Amino acid sequence: MLLLTLCATVLFAAACGESLDGGAACPALCPSQSQQFRDTTFEAVVLDTSVGGFPTLGLSSLMLLANRPDTVVTRGVLRFDVLATSFYPNGTGTLDSVTTIDSVSLVLPLDSSGRRGTVPVTLEAFDVDTTASDSVTAVVSSLFRSDRRIGSITVIPGLTGDTLRVPISRTVVQQKIANKKPLRVGLRLSGGAGQLRLVAFTFSSGAPSLRYDASTDTTYTPIVVRTNTSLANATTDQNLAYQVYTIVDKGSPAAGPDALVVGGYPAYRTYLRFAVPPRITDSSTIVRAELLLTQRRSTFANAADSVAIGAMVPTTTNTVVDIRRILDLSADGAFAAIDTTRLVPNDSGLKTINVLTLARTWGLLPTNVPRALAFRINREGAQPSELRFFSSKAAQPSLRPRLRITYLPRSEFALP
Amino acid sequence: MSFPFMHRALSHRPLVLASRAAVVVAGLLTLAAAPLAAQGSLGSLGFGYPVGGLSTRAAGTAGAFAEFDALSPLNPGSLGGLQRIVLSAQTEPEYRTLNFNGVNESTTIQRIPLIAVLFPFRSGLALGLSASSFLDRSYSMVTTGSAMIEGVSVPTNDRLDIRGAIGDMRAAVGWQINSRLKVGVGGHLFTGENVAVRERTFTDTLTFGSVIDSSRVNYFGTALSVGGEVRIVKGLSAMGSYRTGNSFKSRIRDSVRTTAEVPDRMGAALRYDGLAGATFALGIEQVQWSAMSTLGSGVTTAQDATNVRAGVEVQGPQFRGAPMLLRAGFARNELPFSVSAERVKETRYSTGIALPIARDAATIDFSVQRANRALANSGARESAWLLGVGVQIRP
Repeated sequence: MLLLTLCATVLFAAACGESLDGGAACPALCPSQSQQFRDTTFEAVVLDTSVGGFPTLGLSSLMLLANRPDTVVTRGVLRFDVLATSFYPNGTGTLDSVTTIDSVSLVLPLDSSGRRGTVPVTLEAFDVDTTASDSVTAVVSSLFRSDRRIGSITVIPGLTGDTLRVPISRTVVQQKIANKKPLRVGLRLSGGAGQLRLVAFTFSSGAPSLRYDASTDTTYTPIVVRTNTSLANATTDQNLAYQVYTIVDKGSPAAGPDALVVGGYPAYRTYLRFAVPPRITDSSTIVRAELLLTQRRSTFANAADSVAIGAMVPTTTNTVVDIRRILDLSADGAFAAIDTTRLVPNDSGLKTINVLTLARTWGLLPTNVPRALAFRINREGAQPSELRFFSSKAAQPSLRPRLRITYLPRSEFALP
Repeated sequence: MSFPFMHRALSHRPLVLASRAAVVVAGLLTLAAAPLAAQGSLGSLGFGYPVGGLSTRAAGTAGAFAEFDALSPLNPGSLGGLQRIVLSAQTEPEYRTLNFNGVNESTTIQRIPLIAVLFPFRSGLALGLSASSFLDRSYSMVTTGSAMIEGVSVPTNDRLDIRGAIGDMRAAVGWQINSRLKVGVGGHLFTGENVAVRERTFTDTLTFGSVIDSSRVNYFGTALSVGGEVRIVKGLSAMGSYRTGNSFKSRIRDSVRTTAEVPDRMGAALRYDGLAGATFALGIEQVQWSAMSTLGSGVTTAQDATNVRAGVEVQGPQFRGAPMLLRAGFARNELPFSVSAERVKETRYSTGIALPIARDAATIDFSVQRANRALANSGARESAWLLGVGVQIRP
């Protein structure tokens, strides 16, 4: 019994888990060799530039149709290269040719968050099909004239719903069907200042379409034709690019030699490449990393409305030197846990963008991957707002982009 | 629990060159040894707590029996005249309470301070292999603090985890020359590692990321020990041992970071067993811990220590056909490491019992120790209970 009691006591004691947490006697009994945090703010940018022309033609899911003569003026083109020329009459089960059509309309889904304007504007539709080189902007632009107008509707942009139906000339479309010609519709706003944001592409039924009845008998289900085009010797990407695209008559001003621009119309993206000492990236733990940008006041477009800019993480090696290509291959900043930053275009002064998670990855990257960061504006290509910053070419050093990094040098502190 | 010196022991060249049997035995010994110690407290300053390599029997007498206890790897001369193979393992959890300026903080440490295998040979010769905790350094510190960043004090939460120990692996031979004299010699391998992980988090997690940094240091040193025991008169014996240390190196990533020497140790004891059924012992040891001062950084001081111990063991009532042994002891120890010129002193009271569980073929030893430690002029006091249990098998 004695043995059992003693054994049970010791086993109970030995079975208790360790509890090593303490610290009440610190710092008196806890001498530390720990390093102190170090701060540095320096001009780490070795290359910065802004590249315009985003998004790539035809790749924007939204289309900005604007008539704001003091800011941005755009036109849109929708291609319906193949129109339905036959249909199934009611109850017959046999295919019949389309000879007479009725109720032709262009259905344009809208992104209601992009509408702007309180005065009536006219949305005009033009037949911009031509045998000339229709991929040349000047050629297409010249076709927006009154003798080619095939439809219109007057609306107050701020009061529009989620869809616009633009009546289209039945005669023109009927001729196109009869002659098996493509219908290419040019859109523009006129008669007042305003802006609409059209849905250009979706994977569902919310895309622009042309609707018409294949007979004057209105009991027929309308024929719905989606945008489509087919260019000679073109790739799929090229065909997609010209299916729905925008023509810019008036856009944002050029970036300028000492400016970095994010956004605008067409949109700019900004690329910055950094040189950070290895003692920070490789031999330390970064606890704070902020990109300091000095914002310049912008008066372009909706300058008083805040906009978000998102980060992009370039991932290409230094064998890729074309900045446009680098940007196209960049990953979304969300992969590096970089949050978006909201700024107001007509604001100015020092702005801070948290790049901590990105900076912490720099020490892990192969040496041939430049430490870089890029920015693009939210709703790129669907809204004209822009943000401007001083570049590394700014005459005054305090205006140039800088990195502010707080880090803790690694140390061997296991030795007491 | 970790096995810090097993890795070094199995990989280090001297052991690789040793015989296969010795390596296997050493591996088994070190596998079972798992020293851990408490937090940033009086008992774990510097390189850690000097466990002492005491068997449960010696622990029951506060270390007074260590000089002539064959299981305690201090005096190789005590191995001489061993009659039977002995296998021994023990555990010794410690419950430690630190009082610092009125604030109490408790920690629990699991420790396997010693395992040993002893082999008798002819003519009074015996071989002893053992692995024991030399310095036990494991603790965690959770503190709040602040960091100055661009002149602004930013609140932080800090956690420091230190795990590891330095072990003492000894191979020793003892010889009983005659009924009055025993001598012995032993070789020591001191090896182990400390792994430190430091985490620092900021209250403002949106702006600041946390810091997790780690550091690992390995230790390696050797020493040689000699010892003996002489019977002065019937019932009174004197024991003495001396360990001379060789180089002691710390390595960080295979680069020697610091060099010092394994501390020399000198111990002496008197034993009186002239009364039937009772054994009394008085011992003293001096350890030249200052030899390790260059092994650490400038924030740790190492001072020589003198430890005085007294203990008694008496036969108790019969248990399973053999007598129980009752033990008690007292010790006044000095701990080697501190954070200032002041040193930590320890008073230890102990008691213990040995129960034969298979007559003379197996014994279980129990010990209970109460240790009180204090650092002068600091307001820090610490008390600890150490509960030991050891099993000896003599096949």
